[in-house]
Amino acid sequence: MTAWNIRPIASALWRNRTGAMLVAFQIAIGLAVLVNAVYVVKQRVEKIGRPTGMDTANMIWVSSSGFAKDFDHDAAWRADLAAIREIPGVKAASMISNIPLSGGGSSSGFEPKPGQDTTESVPANTYLVDEHAIAALGVTLAAGRNFEASEILPPIETFDSAPQAIVTKAFAKGLFPDDPNPIGKTFYDGLDKPIAIVGIIEHMHGAWVGWDKLDHVVLFPRIDNGPGSLYLVRSEPGRRDAVMREIEAKLGDSNPDRLLRWVRPFDYFINQSYLDDRNMAIFLASVTSALLAITALGIFGLATFNVSTRIRQIGTRRAVGARRMDIVRHFLVENWMVTTAGVVAGCGGALAVGYWISTKYELPRLDLYYLVGGVLAIWLIGLAAALQPARRASTISPAVASRTV
Amino acid sequence: MFGYYLELAFRNLKRNPGLTALMIGAVALGIAVCVVSMTMYRAMSGNPIWWKNDVLYAVTMDFWDPDEDYFDSKPGLPPQQLTYNDALAVYASDIPKRKVIMHKAVGIVSVDGQQVKPERVLTRVTTKDFFAAFDVPMQYGGTWTDAADTGPEPVVVISRKINDKLFAGANSVGRHIRWNDNEFRIVGVRENWMPLPTFYDVNNGSLEEPEDVYIPFGWNAALEIYSAGNTNGWKPEDIKTYRDFLNSENIWIQMWVELPDAQSHDRFKAFLDNYATQQKSGGRHARKLNNRLTRPDQWLVDNEVVGNDDRVLVGLAFAFLAVCLLNTVGLLLAKFLNGAPVTGVRRALGASRRQIFMQHLVEVGVVSTLGAALGLALGAVLLMGLRALYTMDPNDAAGTQALAQVDMTSVVTALALAFFATIAAGLYPAWRIGRIPPASYLKAQ
Repeated sequence: MTAWNIRPIASALWRNRTGAMLVAFQIAIGLAVLVNAVYVVKQRVEKIGRPTGMDTANMIWVSSSGFAKDFDHDAAWRADLAAIREIPGVKAASMISNIPLSGGGSSSGFEPKPGQDTTESVPANTYLVDEHAIAALGVTLAAGRNFEASEILPPIETFDSAPQAIVTKAFAKGLFPDDPNPIGKTFYDGLDKPIAIVGIIEHMHGAWVGWDKLDHVVLFPRIDNGPGSLYLVRSEPGRRDAVMREIEAKLGDSNPDRLLRWVRPFDYFINQSYLDDRNMAIFLASVTSALLAITALGIFGLATFNVSTRIRQIGTRRAVGARRMDIVRHFLVENWMVTTAGVVAGCGGALAVGYWISTKYELPRLDLYYLVGGVLAIWLIGLAAALQPARRASTISPAVASRTV
Repeated sequence: MFGYYLELAFRNLKRNPGLTALMIGAVALGIAVCVVSMTMYRAMSGNPIWWKNDVLYAVTMDFWDPDEDYFDSKPGLPPQQLTYNDALAVYASDIPKRKVIMHKAVGIVSVDGQQVKPERVLTRVTTKDFFAAFDVPMQYGGTWTDAADTGPEPVVVISRKINDKLFAGANSVGRHIRWNDNEFRIVGVRENWMPLPTFYDVNNGSLEEPEDVYIPFGWNAALEIYSAGNTNGWKPEDIKTYRDFLNSENIWIQMWVELPDAQSHDRFKAFLDNYATQQKSGGRHARKLNNRLTRPDQWLVDNEVVGNDDRVLVGLAFAFLAVCLLNTVGLLLAKFLNGAPVTGVRRALGASRRQIFMQHLVEVGVVSTLGAALGLALGAVLLMGLRALYTMDPNDAAGTQALAQVDMTSVVTALALAFFATIAAGLYPAWRIGRIPPASYLKAQ
């Protein structure tokens, strides 16, 4: 231990403790922020990256609004979809009532048994679709079959279901936990109308990214009510943008009784839904980096100051036989002590902030691995910031000891 | 003397350009991050109608599912909206000075004989007091009459934005537009207005721009208008027609009242309770009596318009400012102590402690002023970056642009905070340097 000269370094540090304490304080805050920021950012990145079950990269949404008094919804959507299917590069085109992952949609509760007992109610995102939807969404049917064209029901005014449905595996499991393949089974809507499961989708996301029942989806075979309609188009891989331009050109003026509101890639809606999560991650990451950079500059400043006020002492030490290595080590050890003092205080701060965040976001408590990683990172940053001043100190010539000034 | 100190300060700062840049940069960065976070926080959480906070009330009643609370996380809080029939019944009261029932819809707007493309606009279906209750500024004309609400008469108020587009900004009162292919006569043009957040309807994101078209409430039944905001129901009901929908337990109407004094508040509350009790005795509900009149500030809290993210960001911003200021204190201290021999000479030549203290404080002032100026510029750049982060579609960025409009109050607050914090941070080093006994530094010379 004597080789490291802990005692004299510590006492030298104590004589100029104010600056060291200021830096230690910065390090404490830096550690508390770093550990928790990394934790929150990781949660957000994982949330954004969840698989959607759909071929999102090649999907396009088209919105059309009929406004004329004599607007013919039925003729309009049929003509529009036929025109879209003629465009080269279009794999499938379908009519769907809402856009998944967009933050807008419908949901209802369903029950495995008829009756007014709502305690077993299982909620799901509901969509009205035609027989092309499975192909256009790019979802995988795990069991059962798609809707037949003859099964698609005409639009109705009110919020209604249909006697058949294709559902996601997660929803089926919520309804019938003991049946791995409930094809043909019947479940019930709020008015006790029976609905038969004809197909099961492996995985698909519904409307609200913040909902824990996001993967509960029910598709009903029904054309959505006019006068607005929403078309889903799936292009061949890589041809999405070309297909979008074609759709705009073809549908823009094809029908004067309606307005082609927009043609947008699916990513537009997904990005919008995750916008806050993404921005929070970006903001946290940049502010945390800036904070660590400032802290590193503080460490650098303190070390530089310590070197510049001790030039004569360093010269003297060199003159009486200290090697360059000893000088470097002196400043690094001194700096390490400051960093460690900050880290010890910062651990308490990190846990306190972590507790606050876990109650705010209802997240599991901060994992201690993050704290260990954060401590290591801070030590490394501290070491790196002090390296240059320490090396400069070691180049001080022993001759300065003999000068008077 | 001050001029001399100022000159000394600049000379000292020039002597160590690296250190000086570091200090000013740290202050600037701290201020910039605080300005950005506070603008964001204000945009999300400020009460945009604070001057009427004591007279405006959101009206809520609990006719929700007897078996389940409306808000899982806040049991006991009634839903934010009313059923159509409840809203109409309560609207009939003449106790409030002003009363508003409303919801959001969408419509396609066009003008006969004009080459402007039909446009889809958000529309507020509301009653005549909307503009007066929320102090909405008007460019031309005004609101409609009571008779227009019940008639309903085909009258409309449009936004200045739409007026600029359709009528090139001219006074369009008396002219006509088509809304979903029905002719409406313009009675007023709303001046640009951007309450942040849109407190009066918190259903669909609180940073949305207010609607561009306003039509009388009576058109709901006449044109069978559904809500483009939230419609929530709990009761399985067989709804076949629009009439069924209006009579259902679905909630989709927002209601606000203006009650100028405590007496009218109590009378209106009694009226509400009386109405709800009547409904219950009519066999409608098993839920306990829970009617509320909520002021705007509490309303924003109840509806969690202030998100958790915003609070975390503000916490982060202050942690950041703290680090920046600690850094500055450390650097100032180092710098002053570095110049201690010179100070020693000054003291020996007769400068008092107080004069030394003042001299160094002027130097601190220079650093904090430069830092604040740079921080403001940096904050403006960061806010532009923030706007880019929140802009998905350049044509559809109205709400987020408002977010990035630098709010003068928050800039002044952040600046004052940072300026005084830096001065406070400089007090200790300036004091410390004044305490140094001159002899110890003169000896070595």
